[in-house]
Amino acid sequence: MSKPEFVYITYIKTTPEKLWHALTDKAFTEKYWFCCSLTSDWKVGSRMHMDRDGKVMNECVILESNPPRRMSYSWHTVFDEEMKKEKPSRVTYEIEPAYDGVKLTVIHEGFADGSTTLPSISTGWPLVLSSLKSILETGQPLAFTVDH
Amino acid sequence: MSKPEFVYVTYIKTTPDKLWHALTDRDSNVLYWFGAYQDCDWKVGSPWKITYPDGRVMDSGEILELVPQQRIVIKWRNEWNEELKAEGFSRCTIEIEQADGAIKLTVIHAIERETSKFIGAVSGGWPKILSNLKSLLETGTVALPSK
Repeated sequence: MSKPEFVYITYIKTTPEKLWHALTDKAFTEKYWFCCSLTSDWKVGSRMHMDRDGKVMNECVILESNPPRRMSYSWHTVFDEEMKKEKPSRVTYEIEPAYDGVKLTVIHEGFADGSTTLPSISTGWPLVLSSLKSILETGQPLAFTVDH
Repeated sequence: MSKPEFVYVTYIKTTPDKLWHALTDRDSNVLYWFGAYQDCDWKVGSPWKITYPDGRVMDSGEILELVPQQRIVIKWRNEWNEELKAEGFSRCTIEIEQADGAIKLTVIHAIERETSKFIGAVSGGWPKILSNLKSLLETGTVALPSK
């Protein structure tokens, strides 16, 4: 058994319902995901795509959807030719009540050996999840400019 | 096999000054470290420990490197659990960098062993402490209030 390649835990002053909304509402995702928007009907088997400036960055398929506790989707990065050749990886969100807030665990796993997507997402997730925590707790995301 | 290592990156809307103060000030520590604080004069070679208000020492060690507002490296050993203590000293590196619109805080906690329950334990603790720290600096209150 190999361990998941990337795991990130963050605790957020919010509710599971608000966090689920933040992870699945297209207009809301665009506010904190550095101009990336996530579009899907979030049903198992449905397509989800992550777009920036009208361009598809990641192609995904919903594998599990259990609002507001657990979601899983495949992840295929298509904006980069090298990453596009790789097999899809898998993202899982686990949402648990913790203290007066929520524990969010993001697991991203199933990468090919020598994957160039893995270092990319390992840099990206802490940015996105820091911005998510900020917007849910303060109403304001992190104001990074994104290197297109 | 890679060595046991915990890496965590978080971005905080604050200044290097305020983050440094929160990391090194005893009264600030207590607010987000679940009542515990680091006892140290923050000089290279100085003894370092994490203490609870009732005097129990959780961890102890020594400052190996220190660049104010940028970097702290701590030689760090558990003191409250015999099994974890027996694993010996770990190395914790804390780095502060100015990022575009926020401060990037990186914590790398590693030990020179094949396997480590200690690194497993801190892997559960750091996300709580660092989530609290980010909340405290951005909102004035922590994410996980002490019971």
